[in-house]
Amino acid sequence: MKFKAFFTDDGISLLDKRFLPAMDKVGRVCHVFFTPTHAMLLHNLLGATAAGPDGGGPQCVAQFAKDLLFREYNVSSRNGNQIAFSVEVALLHRALRSVLAVHAQPPAAGDATGAPAIQVKLVNKLPAGSRTATPFLTFETKGARAAVVQDVPISRPLSRSDIERLQAALDAAKDLPQTLVQVPDLPQLQSLVDRLKNVGDLLTVAVTQYGDLHLQVSTSLVTVGSEFRKLRVIGDRANAPVGDQNLTSSTRMDMAVERGEALSVQVNMKHLVKSLHCHLAKPDCTFYGIAPGGACLTVVFQYFIPGTRLADKSISFYCRLPVLDPGSN
Amino acid sequence: MSSSTSVRDDDAPDLVCQIDCVHGMVDALSCVRWKRHQDAVMELSEHGIVLSVEESGCLQGKVFLKRELFVEYDYGGDGRQRFGLSLGLFVDCLNIFSSPGHASAVEIRYPGPDMQLLLKSVGSPDACLYAEIRTRIPDTVSWDYHFEHDGNTPVTFTAKSAVLKETTDDLEWPGSSIQIRMQPDPPTVILKGEGHGDLQIEFPYYANTDLLIAFQCDHEVSYRYKYKFLRATTSNIPSTVMKENRRTKVSIGRGGMLKIQHLVSLARPGMPYFRNIGGGTEQTSRIAHIEFFVKPEEDDNDA
Repeated sequence: MKFKAFFTDDGISLLDKRFLPAMDKVGRVCHVFFTPTHAMLLHNLLGATAAGPDGGGPQCVAQFAKDLLFREYNVSSRNGNQIAFSVEVALLHRALRSVLAVHAQPPAAGDATGAPAIQVKLVNKLPAGSRTATPFLTFETKGARAAVVQDVPISRPLSRSDIERLQAALDAAKDLPQTLVQVPDLPQLQSLVDRLKNVGDLLTVAVTQYGDLHLQVSTSLVTVGSEFRKLRVIGDRANAPVGDQNLTSSTRMDMAVERGEALSVQVNMKHLVKSLHCHLAKPDCTFYGIAPGGACLTVVFQYFIPGTRLADKSISFYCRLPVLDPGSN
Repeated sequence: MSSSTSVRDDDAPDLVCQIDCVHGMVDALSCVRWKRHQDAVMELSEHGIVLSVEESGCLQGKVFLKRELFVEYDYGGDGRQRFGLSLGLFVDCLNIFSSPGHASAVEIRYPGPDMQLLLKSVGSPDACLYAEIRTRIPDTVSWDYHFEHDGNTPVTFTAKSAVLKETTDDLEWPGSSIQIRMQPDPPTVILKGEGHGDLQIEFPYYANTDLLIAFQCDHEVSYRYKYKFLRATTSNIPSTVMKENRRTKVSIGRGGMLKIQHLVSLARPGMPYFRNIGGGTEQTSRIAHIEFFVKPEEDDNDA
């Protein structure tokens, strides 16, 4: 089992400034998954059922084309050249920042060569005082005045069966909801959810084919909700019924569900709050949708190719929130 | 579905009003919120909204929101409508509408289809925030906080709200029971706490006009009040009251009934004028009146 690569400048910047801060907020420990074509950071994929994520927390998948993050990318294993292990996100981020700091040291006068690249590889090392070798993800670079090697402890690589489960969960998660609506302002949504979370723990989320997103918290004493209308729709869409603007938000949503033009699910408020931390990864667009049959709430983050409005297909970033009452639809 | 909707539309609510400064309303209501879970009674009329809270038969707080404070106020009910609700929930819900940077107006309706109090943000057709607060039938037992002046001259003093709050906070140390004494000669207000120790705070009228702005008393009165009730009257005075250097009026009525009146601004910051239902007014005159009534401790009447 071998893994060795050099970070690209864009790749290490993406991880440092965007994805590791976001992944750290979603959960303390994540899986790192290397395949021959992609590198991934994953939360809560193992333990998921084929129908959707379990109740343990939101699934979060950040998938990068290997060439976006790395050059000279070499991964080999007996499991179809796939390697997966778990790592503490904060440790990974700290090590990355450390090597970046050394890497950023200005070259000495007269030194014509550019800064050496940052290398990352999997190693087995014998820690001091231990008789058994332990796996580490090792980062190495040289600055003008110093060289640094950062060993980040990782779990033992996942077994073949666990990797197959991981891959199966990823394959199951690839199905997009039939209707996705674009949320215009993610920080504003986060601010709203921060206020709603004081009301109750269960949040009802509904998405219509007219482009409406409806969030509602209800307890025995109070119902508080928010409705965003006329959002951009991707996938199945329908025209909003004429005259429905005079109805209350709740009535409008109930009628849309009855007509089969909306799906509604209940999710744990804490899961939604966690998924909203993904805005730390600064996506260019965010879409909300509900998987067929109300299996889960899916949040898709989209990135544009810099300087364009074209989707960057080398990054795939999404969350799937387990639903608490899948039978309601 | 459509028929039920049309029935609902035909039933015009008793009250539809709109407020453009939720923050001020939250401040005013928080003034009478001395504990987390607190039942309140809301009374609606053509003159405005009155919210009352009560504790232990000894303390009552009232918030008067007169109709002129609202951008719109349309009351079509018969006489006065009363209902009970949780003050904490009402304030928490209003707080949801007052997110920083989003100062949209809020419409308040009563009753909803299930007698709820309905709140809804207005102004943006494509984004709407709403809340439906369950209400209950209020207790029929009337609260006895009848206040009338003792004698021909009202016994009253006016102090800066900040000074009164600071004084009350200081009296926490002796705690338990606080004596309020007013004497005409020399004109002085004395607050004295006796408990773990003694603490006496005097406000001599002639010595410092910053302390007592007004004073009226033709005979000595002295009553004792529970500290926790006195503290409830000043503990949640909003910061705007301090910033605007507002005053609080304290009166002692027949039998020692204590009446404390605060003024809380509902002005929207940065906007000198607003157009209310009467056609318009200055922001500075948008004041909610807060009143507390505290009954004295029994058998301690020194007057």
